Amino acid sequence: MNLTTRTAPLLAPVAALALTTLVMLATGVDPFLAYPALVRGAVGEGNLEYTVAAYVPVLGMALAFAIPLRTGELNLGGDGQLALGGVAAAAAALLVPLPPVLAVVFPLVVAALAGGLLAWVAAPLRARLGIPVIVTTLLLSPPGVALASYLARFPLAERGTGLAQTPVLPDASHLPALGESGYLTPALPVVALLTALWLYADAGTALGYEIRATGANREFARYGGVGVARLGAVTLATGGAVAGLVGGLVVLGPPYRFVDGALVAPGYTFTAIAAVLLATGRPVLVPFTSALLTVLQAGGQGMEREAGVPSQLTQIVQGLIIVIVAVLALARRRTAKKRPGGVTP
Amino acid sequence: MPAVELVGITKRFGDVVANDGIDLSIETGEIHAVVGENGAGKSTLMSVMYGVHQPDAGHVLRDGVRLRMRSPADAIAAGLGMVHQRLRLFPGLTVAENVVIGAEPTRRGVLDTAAASREVERLGELYGLRADPAARVGTLPVGVRQRVEILRALYRRARVLILDEPTAVLTPGEAARLFEVLRGVTGEGVSVVLVTHKLGEVLAASNRVTVLRGGRVTGRFATAETTAQELVVAMIGRSLAPRPLAPPGERAAGPYLLEVENVRVRGGEGPARVGGVSFGVRRGEIVGIAGVAGSGQRELLDVVTGLRTPDEGRVLLAGAPVRRGRDPRVAYVPEDRPGRATAPTMSLADNLLMGGQRERRFSRAAVRERARALVERFGVRAASLDEPISVLSGGNAQKAVLARELSGDRPLVVVEEPTQGVDVGAQEQIHALLAQARDEGRAVLLQSSELSELRALADRILVMFEGAIVAELSAEEAGEDRLGAAMTGAAG
Ligand SMILES: Nc1ncnc2c1ncn2[C@@H]1O[C@H](COP(=O)(O)OP(=O)(O)OP(=O)(O)O)[C@@H](O)[C@H]1O
Ligand SMILES: [Mg+2]
Repeated sequence: MNLTTRTAPLLAPVAALALTTLVMLATGVDPFLAYPALVRGAVGEGNLEYTVAAYVPVLGMALAFAIPLRTGELNLGGDGQLALGGVAAAAAALLVPLPPVLAVVFPLVVAALAGGLLAWVAAPLRARLGIPVIVTTLLLSPPGVALASYLARFPLAERGTGLAQTPVLPDASHLPALGESGYLTPALPVVALLTALWLYADAGTALGYEIRATGANREFARYGGVGVARLGAVTLATGGAVAGLVGGLVVLGPPYRFVDGALVAPGYTFTAIAAVLLATGRPVLVPFTSALLTVLQAGGQGMEREAGVPSQLTQIVQGLIIVIVAVLALARRRTAKKRPGGVTP
Repeated sequence: MPAVELVGITKRFGDVVANDGIDLSIETGEIHAVVGENGAGKSTLMSVMYGVHQPDAGHVLRDGVRLRMRSPADAIAAGLGMVHQRLRLFPGLTVAENVVIGAEPTRRGVLDTAAASREVERLGELYGLRADPAARVGTLPVGVRQRVEILRALYRRARVLILDEPTAVLTPGEAARLFEVLRGVTGEGVSVVLVTHKLGEVLAASNRVTVLRGGRVTGRFATAETTAQELVVAMIGRSLAPRPLAPPGERAAGPYLLEVENVRVRGGEGPARVGGVSFGVRRGEIVGIAGVAGSGQRELLDVVTGLRTPDEGRVLLAGAPVRRGRDPRVAYVPEDRPGRATAPTMSLADNLLMGGQRERRFSRAAVRERARALVERFGVRAASLDEPISVLSGGNAQKAVLARELSGDRPLVVVEEPTQGVDVGAQEQIHALLAQARDEGRAVLLQSSELSELRALADRILVMFEGAIVAELSAEEAGEDRLGAAMTGAAG
């Protein structure tokens, strides 16, 4: 019934690409050179595996943002949760030597707990003091990143190298490689499984229904007997735990150590948020929008190498997508207001 | 020359033809009533007149000049004002801010709060629409919020005032005052278009009536020359049997199912509190709650349903305290439909589920099946179960809420304004449902601003004033004047 809702995930990238093409033309870049380079950079010879490897943290962080978003809570602290999870996994693996399978499972559990705890803190602060979750998560993110950084530089640092990284983790804690390059690890199936679980819970369970109702109208859910505050806390903690787990999964993969900044620098959190926003409230689209943006990013580097187009251009595309989604959402709100049934402000 | 004239208006939503070639002319200074069943297309027609919807065919003339209406801004510029069926205020802002929004008095570029407050007070005084300019709208009862909407239109100097079911949630006293206001403004040449389901108001207040049915005009009457029966026939195509009065029924006896003991509500914002209220409701009886909006009914019922914890006192249901959060033994139809009773953006099916999501195994098919059964049984008219509930007409959304809450077998039924916005046929149906709930041995607590509804249904009526129960009247004792007197605090 509504044009903008249905088509936003399609319209926004197309419009963004059109605009990007204009930018290319304006700056004297040949789109016929740049786009093939972009595609090759993402899925061409040898690059595909790398792109898929990058897809794992993007999709995982998309879950970390999307799960609490369903109850209306904005988790903007993904970076802190991710870094803390990563360093926690490294610490667990280094400090607690365990037999093979346990040596992977235990650090991952610790990582999830660390990320979950950092995100959860926002819930009581909101319930008790009324501080919005968006503020708390955002403000707690840099300390989380800094704490991880401190641990990697000092107590956990690899001695003698002076590099801000932990030593290589014990062999038993390495995630096995799934492909030739070693980039692909069981992290992919793990995150895919989590995504599937989330999609199922969202659409097909009473809990998912209560979460959606809380996000749609908190008072309605409360009236229906849903523990809205508790659900908010649970989804925040779950989102944070997924972020922490992603950090752990990355650290237990190549190069099998926590390297300061390696988790945060690629900007997974931001890309993931963009992907979730692009999905405009339809969870099933999140894996696809995440893939789209990952391809764009990975391809951007190829484009830089081959066509001499700065890879920042793909960030422009990403930014444009978000702006266009926001504009479409606004347009939708305006048409919604025009209906007699429009949402009361 | 008519003040406003609608010519051949047709408006479709997908397959639904909400308005089908409607002509309507509003004379200067008249009160023109528009009536019809739920879903007849009244709100849609008003929205077209106000520029909210662009018609698929037809146009709007103002003083004989064809208007180009791209949005309500054009309508406002042409001197039209509208109070929507679903109020559109900003709950976080004050009354004064809500009234002046869009045309704020400023001093050196910033909102002049004092001037805004003065203006609200002046207008309120002038038209008898009093509201505290500094109160936050979100904390006010619906009745007061609506006054704010009317003030807003008057503040913008509307010459044609469109009111979509303005009295749906007003007490008779407030409604009477509203009609005084409306007569006052029409005396100054303002025209009023009044959508309502209350034929009594139509006959008492309007000059002319237009009846819609299925998106078409099925009758035009001069009020002085018509009767309620004639209007009903034009509305629903048959006449209503005279309302079967509730069967005398033996006086319910036995212990109270619901016991409210010395409940006190202090905290929170909002004008009314509850101060030490005690009463009981037995199985098989309907207890009515009457009172001017904001007399503490809302807080009291929040305590009864478990949504609010009282500062003092307790509420027992079958001897056990009501569960905090929301007691599953209580069916509850709230007054605030978009804010509490529904999630406007969720589908009809999802809205019909709330409260029952944990009752049996959850599956999408089961959710839709349940919704389909409810829609059928309660005659909710909706194009699809998957569309947001907000596209339903107001009355049909209300029926959906009633369907959800009354379908189970919860022993206590709490209803606030059950017939707000529903057409005469459906009102009858809802009253029958409430009577049925009582006859099944449930305890019913009915809060209504519709005194006739209370008198027709309730076995006893509790009258609230300033947070206390000031009178308890049996059905026989509860005449309009005794009720009215008690509601204003005069000894009951
Ligand atoms: N935005 C919309 N999208 C789809 N259908 C709509 C929309 N608005 C109204 N309708 C449909 O148009 C028809 C007329 O609705 P309208 O709200 O005008 O009825 P109404 O006469 O005001 O009813 P009520 O007395 O219940 O308020 C209904 O079938 C309704 O479902
Ligand atoms: Mg209507």
